[in-house]
Amino acid sequence: MVPVWLILIPLLTGLVSFGLQNAKAVKAWALFSTIISTTLIIAGIYFLNPSSLQFNATWLKLLGSNFSFKLDGMSKMLCLLTAASFLIIFIAINKNEYKNSKSFYALMLLMQAGFMGVFTATDALLFYFFWELALIPAYFLCSMWGGEKRIQVTFKFFVYTFAGSLIMLCGIIYLYFQTPNQTFSLESFYNLHLSNKQQYILFWLFFIAFAIKMPMFPFHTWQPDTYEQSSTGVTMALSGVMAKMGIFAVIRWVVPIFPEAVNHFSNIVIILSIIGIVYASLIAIRQDDIKRLIAYSSIAHISLMCAAIFSQNNTAMQGVLIQMFNHGIVVIGLWIVADAVEQQVGTRKLSELGGLAQKAPALAIFIVVLAFANVALPLASSFIGEFLMLSGLFQYNIIMAAIAGTTIILSSIYTLNMVQKIFYGNTVTLTEKAVDISGNIKIALTILVIIIIVLGVYPQPMFNLVK
Amino acid sequence: MPERAELGVMNAIIFSALIGVVMMLGGIVIKSNAGIKLLAIILLFILLGSHLAEYYDLFNIHIQTHGMLAKSRFGMFFNTIIISLTLLYVLLSGDEIVKVGTYGAEYFALIFFSLCGATILSSYNNLLMLFLGVEIMTIPLFVLTSSEKKNLKSNEAGLKYFLMGSFSTGILLMGIALYYGGTGLFAIEASKAANEAQQAFRILLPLGLLFIFISLSFKVSAAPFHFWTPDVYDGAPSVFTSFMATIVKTAGFIAFIKLFELRSVDMGYSWKILLPLIIILTLLAGNITAVFQQSVKRMLAYSSIAHAGFMLFALYNPNDFGKQGIMLYTVAYSLATIGTFAVLTKMKDYTYEGYNGLAKTKPVLAATNTIFILSLAGIPLTAGFFAKYYMLASALKESTSNLWLVIVAVLFAAVSVYYYFRVIQAMYFKDGNAETTEIKPFFKTLLIIIAALIIVIGLMPSLLLDLFYA
Amino acid sequence: MIELLFHITAFKSLPLGEVGGALTHIIILSTALFFIGMYGLFTRRNMITMLMSIELMLNSVNINFVAFNKYLYPDKMDGIFFSIFIIAIAAAEAAVAIAIIINLYRTHKSIDVDDVTDLKQ
Repeated sequence: MVPVWLILIPLLTGLVSFGLQNAKAVKAWALFSTIISTTLIIAGIYFLNPSSLQFNATWLKLLGSNFSFKLDGMSKMLCLLTAASFLIIFIAINKNEYKNSKSFYALMLLMQAGFMGVFTATDALLFYFFWELALIPAYFLCSMWGGEKRIQVTFKFFVYTFAGSLIMLCGIIYLYFQTPNQTFSLESFYNLHLSNKQQYILFWLFFIAFAIKMPMFPFHTWQPDTYEQSSTGVTMALSGVMAKMGIFAVIRWVVPIFPEAVNHFSNIVIILSIIGIVYASLIAIRQDDIKRLIAYSSIAHISLMCAAIFSQNNTAMQGVLIQMFNHGIVVIGLWIVADAVEQQVGTRKLSELGGLAQKAPALAIFIVVLAFANVALPLASSFIGEFLMLSGLFQYNIIMAAIAGTTIILSSIYTLNMVQKIFYGNTVTLTEKAVDISGNIKIALTILVIIIIVLGVYPQPMFNLVK
Repeated sequence: MPERAELGVMNAIIFSALIGVVMMLGGIVIKSNAGIKLLAIILLFILLGSHLAEYYDLFNIHIQTHGMLAKSRFGMFFNTIIISLTLLYVLLSGDEIVKVGTYGAEYFALIFFSLCGATILSSYNNLLMLFLGVEIMTIPLFVLTSSEKKNLKSNEAGLKYFLMGSFSTGILLMGIALYYGGTGLFAIEASKAANEAQQAFRILLPLGLLFIFISLSFKVSAAPFHFWTPDVYDGAPSVFTSFMATIVKTAGFIAFIKLFELRSVDMGYSWKILLPLIIILTLLAGNITAVFQQSVKRMLAYSSIAHAGFMLFALYNPNDFGKQGIMLYTVAYSLATIGTFAVLTKMKDYTYEGYNGLAKTKPVLAATNTIFILSLAGIPLTAGFFAKYYMLASALKESTSNLWLVIVAVLFAAVSVYYYFRVIQAMYFKDGNAETTEIKPFFKTLLIIIAALIIVIGLMPSLLLDLFYA
Repeated sequence: MIELLFHITAFKSLPLGEVGGALTHIIILSTALFFIGMYGLFTRRNMITMLMSIELMLNSVNINFVAFNKYLYPDKMDGIFFSIFIIAIAAAEAAVAIAIIINLYRTHKSIDVDDVTDLKQ
């Protein structure tokens, strides 16, 4: 029952929040909901009986689709990431004021329910349902709160991802008719024997949907705009968790079902990913807006994960699995910092910032740790993941690994450049009046930094989890 | 139910014609609008009751029709759906119907007559009944379309509808004549023996079927025979557009499927080329043109063409999925369309700008309308998703080589999001002061019920489909 | 399509005999009438003439029905009955059409369709 509760808790609390009137009550309620989810998933991982991690019930008998959920290693980790991320997000944005805040929190919780469903569903139709269920609240969240151009930008994002997922639906229906007794269950999909030609076509039907979600070059164009225009709380959820949906789905729904096609197209995908890495990193260096910079940096990191998946060896896969978690944690931290800076100073332009470290020393300490994690320095959590991914890629092809490896150099350039421009140097007029971050942001960042350092020094729990 | 095929006129046919007359006469006695509306609702309940009585074998008028009409579960179930939908439609928009002109009772009577035609179309077994059903269904609509006497647009729409309607009737009749020439029969299950007896003129059969096909394509507004639809839907009073776009259109589809499910073999291989082509053209014409519309009403007219493209999947693949799918599509599409048109009729301004800020002024209308729009766009958790799902599945079940057609169709579904979501954007994200006419609590309650129905069917389509098999 | 064309071309070479010959003439007449009607509907701008064109189409169908009945299936009266139905329905249609045309004439003082173009966008 655990996976069902993981979905139901945010779903029900989300629906209830639509009815709450007091803004403070809504915040407390949302926080309460995520604390329960986090506790539940931690209990599910460490304490509860493994049989409680599965759930099966008939749903559409005519169609052969069931309510079936399962928490395996990867799902556990991603559910933990989802619950923890939302907890941290709600702590970090606790002081922010949103107009119509009950809808904001309600939609955030509904989106969380969608994520949980995607990560635990073992029925293709159910998976598709949750895949869309996560998208609809995201559409409303991004369109209702955020920058000037948010409506058009979000619309692009929505149409892009919706088109992708509809194409995936065609693939799902196709596979459904291939299964011997016509079901949508994941196992029957795994047991299919598809001809090479079928695999080649179906691979793209699925992969395009996931590539758009990640996003991977050349499907990434919606991402920087959406991340920039959305309100930061939403962006955290999008980049911290939603981007992982694409990676997760490739690992679960593409690699085992179409092994031949993965083998056949791995070169193309890896090359596209590497183009994505270099291209996004170079653009990130040129960015003046903090949010866009982080957005492009995110594309580079996600592309590396995608390349690692398609290098098809265990080392790289281990790296991807733990990097999904680490990247989520780090990127949420970066967004919190970006948000804090914007709140303090009122601008996101690097060229207009400087010397914030004198005014906000605590924030500066946090950003330095986060920056190291983003660059993947040893002892920060991301190091292990990136190292494994690159060494896996190295086994696949040396040249590709070498080019992909530039990501470390390039990311240190843009990340450290950003830190330097915001926090060091002389204060400028805008940063004169800035004060240090408030308590809630400190709490959120402290949690993140502790996770980063602990997992950097002692990553074994993560490996145990995804084994 | 083959054993009952010989005797059976459905209660629904007789009762709908009778209550049409009662309604018309009632208009002489009752003068107040509220009274007329009440009478219409009561009569509809009687109609529904009589139909259900037959459905559950309680009470049935037996008339020997010599096989011209045939009962089938498919048709009976469809009748239940359209009568219930009409009831919902009258409950929701009854006030608007009587307000169109000075002849409230007559409008309801015409709706009942049109419904009578629709019930004939769901049970015909003979081309004569097909012809009569189509005519009984559409002639009242000519009148309803042009019922705003002082409004030139309404008159023009009525004229256009008449011209296109009778033109397509001419083609239908020519088709039937050729069919008759080829087989010597009007029954749709013309026996092989008759064919062999007149082998010489057997060749007229495919030609006749092609004519009938073209004519019915006109009726369901499939491209390239769709061009009348936007003008007529736009010009007609909004309440009647809602009726035309839902009940009448789906009845046309049922007639279409009934005939070509049996006779598509006679059209030979060309059938397999012709229909996908028409499906794609219809999706293209509907979706692409809808993108450029400024008026929500006109957009809905084009989107109804786009939905016709999806419904044609059931015609192309009349297997289990196709047949269940068309039922589901009828319900999902009609519920959403009736709902969204009901909201539209309350708006003072039919353009997208007219919807700006509706979420602030009328939150219930905006929220329910969002669900209707999401259902039309085929988003999961709404009935519209499973409707589309069944259509796509029917094609892939027939043959996996239809994959390309399915992919093209979903890409057009993605395009449809563009124009549907503009309404949501206007309601929720744009500032404005959307003006509506007065809205009663009862109206809001009904909208909420319809929205809830859409979501329930979207979660458990089996609830509806189990009834089909029960 | 190709199959259909094949059928139509094969029509000429059929062993129809005397009956077929007479029938062919009638079919040619009715087909001609049908397409004259269609042509009239598309080219004429006067509403009454358009209505007449539609009637022409329907009547050509009537000829077909009667001819098929007489020459091919003389043992039953199906076709003739069908044409009676057509006549009845055509009358109903004409009544509605004329009502619409009169109403348009009242508001518009014209029965030329080119004057009625409010809906064109």
